[in-house]
Amino acid sequence: MDVTVIAESSENGLHPVTAQLVGAAVAIGGAPTVLCAGGWGVEDAVSISGVAKVISVVGDCFGSFDGGAWAEALSSASGGDVIIAAATPAGREIAATIAAIRGIPIVQDVTGLAPGISVTRPIYSGKAIESSTVGTPCAITVRANAFDAAGEDGSAEVSTVNQSADVAVAVREAIAKASERLDVAEADIIISGGRGMGDPANFSHLEEIADIIGAAVGASRAAVDTWDEIPHGMQVGQTGKTVTPSLYIAVGISGAIQHLAGMRTSKYIVAINKDPDAPIFGVADYGIVATWEDALPALKAELGKL
Amino acid sequence: MAYEALDFYDIDSLLSDEERMVRDMVRDWVDEKVIPNIEEACRDGVFPDEWRVDLGEMGILGAPLKGYGCPGLSYIAYGLICQELERGDSGVRSFASVQGSLAMYPIWDFGSEEQKNHYLPRMATGEWVGCFGLTEPDYGSNPGDMITRAEDKGDHYLLNGAKMWITNGTIADLAVVWAKLDGVIRGFIVEKGDPGFTAPEMTGKHSLKASVTSELVFQDCRIPKDRILPDVKGLKGPFSCLNNARFGISWGAVGAAQSCFNSAKEYALSRIQFDHPIASFQLVQNKLAWMLREITKAQLLAYHLGQKKDDGTWIPEHISLAKMNNVDIALEIARMARDIHGANGILDEYPVMRHMANLESVKTYEGTHDIHNLILGRHITGIQAFTREFTE
Amino acid sequence: MTIAVLLKQVPDTTSKISVSGGRVDESAVSKWSMSPYDEYALESALQLKESGGGDVVAITCGPARAAKMLTDAAAVGADSLLHVLVEDLNALDSTQVQAILAAAVSHCSAQVVFCGKQAADTNAGSTGPGVAHLMGASCVTMVSEVASEGDSFTAMRASSGGDQRVAVSAPCLFAFDKGTTELRRPNVRGIMMAKKKVAETLGASDLGVDTSASSVSVDSHSPPPEKPPGQRFEGVDSVAVVVSKLRDEANVI
Repeated sequence: MDVTVIAESSENGLHPVTAQLVGAAVAIGGAPTVLCAGGWGVEDAVSISGVAKVISVVGDCFGSFDGGAWAEALSSASGGDVIIAAATPAGREIAATIAAIRGIPIVQDVTGLAPGISVTRPIYSGKAIESSTVGTPCAITVRANAFDAAGEDGSAEVSTVNQSADVAVAVREAIAKASERLDVAEADIIISGGRGMGDPANFSHLEEIADIIGAAVGASRAAVDTWDEIPHGMQVGQTGKTVTPSLYIAVGISGAIQHLAGMRTSKYIVAINKDPDAPIFGVADYGIVATWEDALPALKAELGKL
Repeated sequence: MAYEALDFYDIDSLLSDEERMVRDMVRDWVDEKVIPNIEEACRDGVFPDEWRVDLGEMGILGAPLKGYGCPGLSYIAYGLICQELERGDSGVRSFASVQGSLAMYPIWDFGSEEQKNHYLPRMATGEWVGCFGLTEPDYGSNPGDMITRAEDKGDHYLLNGAKMWITNGTIADLAVVWAKLDGVIRGFIVEKGDPGFTAPEMTGKHSLKASVTSELVFQDCRIPKDRILPDVKGLKGPFSCLNNARFGISWGAVGAAQSCFNSAKEYALSRIQFDHPIASFQLVQNKLAWMLREITKAQLLAYHLGQKKDDGTWIPEHISLAKMNNVDIALEIARMARDIHGANGILDEYPVMRHMANLESVKTYEGTHDIHNLILGRHITGIQAFTREFTE
Repeated sequence: MTIAVLLKQVPDTTSKISVSGGRVDESAVSKWSMSPYDEYALESALQLKESGGGDVVAITCGPARAAKMLTDAAAVGADSLLHVLVEDLNALDSTQVQAILAAAVSHCSAQVVFCGKQAADTNAGSTGPGVAHLMGASCVTMVSEVASEGDSFTAMRASSGGDQRVAVSAPCLFAFDKGTTELRRPNVRGIMMAKKKVAETLGASDLGVDTSASSVSVDSHSPPPEKPPGQRFEGVDSVAVVVSKLRDEANVI
């Protein structure tokens, strides 16, 4: 099987998900060719185990992002029965465009692959799993962390292809990312504090962690009612917002039934509480019996390492 | 979690696309604007002005009226609007009922062309708020003996008297006031700022706390001659308004009951006692089944009444039955739901105690529960039992 | 100027999804809605029309029930509606869906297309770039707002390094992320007007698209794997363990 992997890379180098894409390629029986757009990440790509060759695709079009132009350049640089890319915004767009250029189908956001080609992917935001069979040629994007990364003992050959395409999307200005805090109703990760935080000033510890993982900061009603500094807009629960994030971290929240009503349908719940009998542990997927004073610095350090 | 309205008999399938879209629009608005803010509004004892603006923008004030800026929706659509508003709070539904059925309707039906053109378009957008002055401190169920008088002074009318329990009174730009002119009940439009007219707010309510309730006081209140409603005399005027408002209430009560049922069901499923959700206990299931049964009957009653309103085959007694029954069961469902919530049921975390307190008012206003029984009694027997005078 | 907006009807994101007989049971879906990113596309198209003139045509490819969503689009201001009737969208692969939508856009003579960055059911995100390629249009994804500037357009898009304002010329396609603008609510007037806007209904074959041979076949749907029972850890040393489980077991960070 001739498999081409579109590396996830940028001027900052190769993204580690690329080794997982190679892992996925190996799962369907290919020794893949890895394409590095703009030549980025070539040095790291060559050492991924199982890679047959690395093609550095360089051209003017890679100066700024235009998915259509990048796809055209990358598609011309290599063939392949199967194109594999990461299910990131850029990866999805490039792979979808290559598929359209070649008139082949694409399946996005795949979490399982087997020769044949059998693919599985979550649909309806993970409320169901779809298994399907895809004919070749085809394009596939792969969800991060769904496949084991290939090792680092490879030594693939590198070639460089000069290939550009017409850029149709002109960047007028770049706007620095505003550090606006997410609303709990919209966030995919929420870290909430309760009255167990002791003082509203201690919510700063939650905010620091939220900044690391792109989370919103929420609060229990007890915290909102007790401290004027914690606004009602942060409240999760029966009379606050009902939230269903992928991850809900409850810190110093005992888990009154009114709070649980607002967050129990979260996909994963982590509870940090010093009281081992707190009802919040009854709904937690991962419960940590510890004081927030001990747990939050450790959590911050661990998340910072990711 | 999105609100899933109890609809056991799939009433939804009987609705037109337009009716369903209007219902969904109001439902979404209630979820977005009313439910997150209602407890604060109740605590502060205010009807948020933003809601007035939104109701006007949605175009649902005076919904079943046609022309003069009003859309002419079906009565079923109007019922659905009331149902969804009252799912939020009876006070919000009361605002819309009073504006549409009690203030706009009499102008639309009994007003002069000039009055209709002047008032209705601005009331439909919510720019002007109206109220309805019929009940007096000493004349509630017996409005025919009202004291408020109007005198013809040649180039103006002079009003004297007082009205009580007037929803929207203090925030109203105009009041449709019923008063006796030469012994005959007539309708007058009194505007905010007319000399001799004041509308002090009544305070201390344990019910309908997010709704403004007022007195209307007329002390030698002078109004121009063109403010009389030309086309109606006698109790027929106010009663025809009440028919429409009571129709809306019969749907609104279903909304309040659905809200209580939902809260009770969710609570019963998540509350663990004796190691099991209380929803798994027979006594609780019995209560939930009773609620479902009564709500389903009330929905069918309201829907069929809506069809009769739309095809013109209704009589006022049909409305009395629906208003009386649906508010009665809604109140009982609210009490039962409070019971299922245990002590938590008294908290403002849940809507049940608020609905329960509201429905006590709804049971009493727009014809008390007992008065509607008497209306039905008269219909059955041909004998009126309101007064001691025996008439056949 | 005609702005085509591609809309997909999906189970409301709050709906329960149940699987029976190896397939998601669509009849058990309590509420069908316009896919959320598509709502932003529609809102932005209406805003662009209000500021620069033109017509908004709402296009969907889907079964008969999707007609309701087109009426919803009309109620907030879409000028015309096109429904490409496809009873089982799941039986089509991405090339077929894109071919249908590109043909539908061309049928409406639209040079500017707005759509959501991905639909809430499959969360794929193939349609925008694919349709753009088929119509020879420039494609901008992750868009939050679009303005017209003479013959060209500027768009705000999110990228890993922050937001960028980019410029493109027609023909072009914008795939929307969640915007910052508030979505408009319908009103009674709009709902009554929507009744009068009848959708043009076509089949895929009317647009010259062959839907017979899909190269992706769905074998089965299944419920997601059960979550492991709650795990309890004591003390601060367990934080590292939980973080690794969040990454490897739960796959949420």
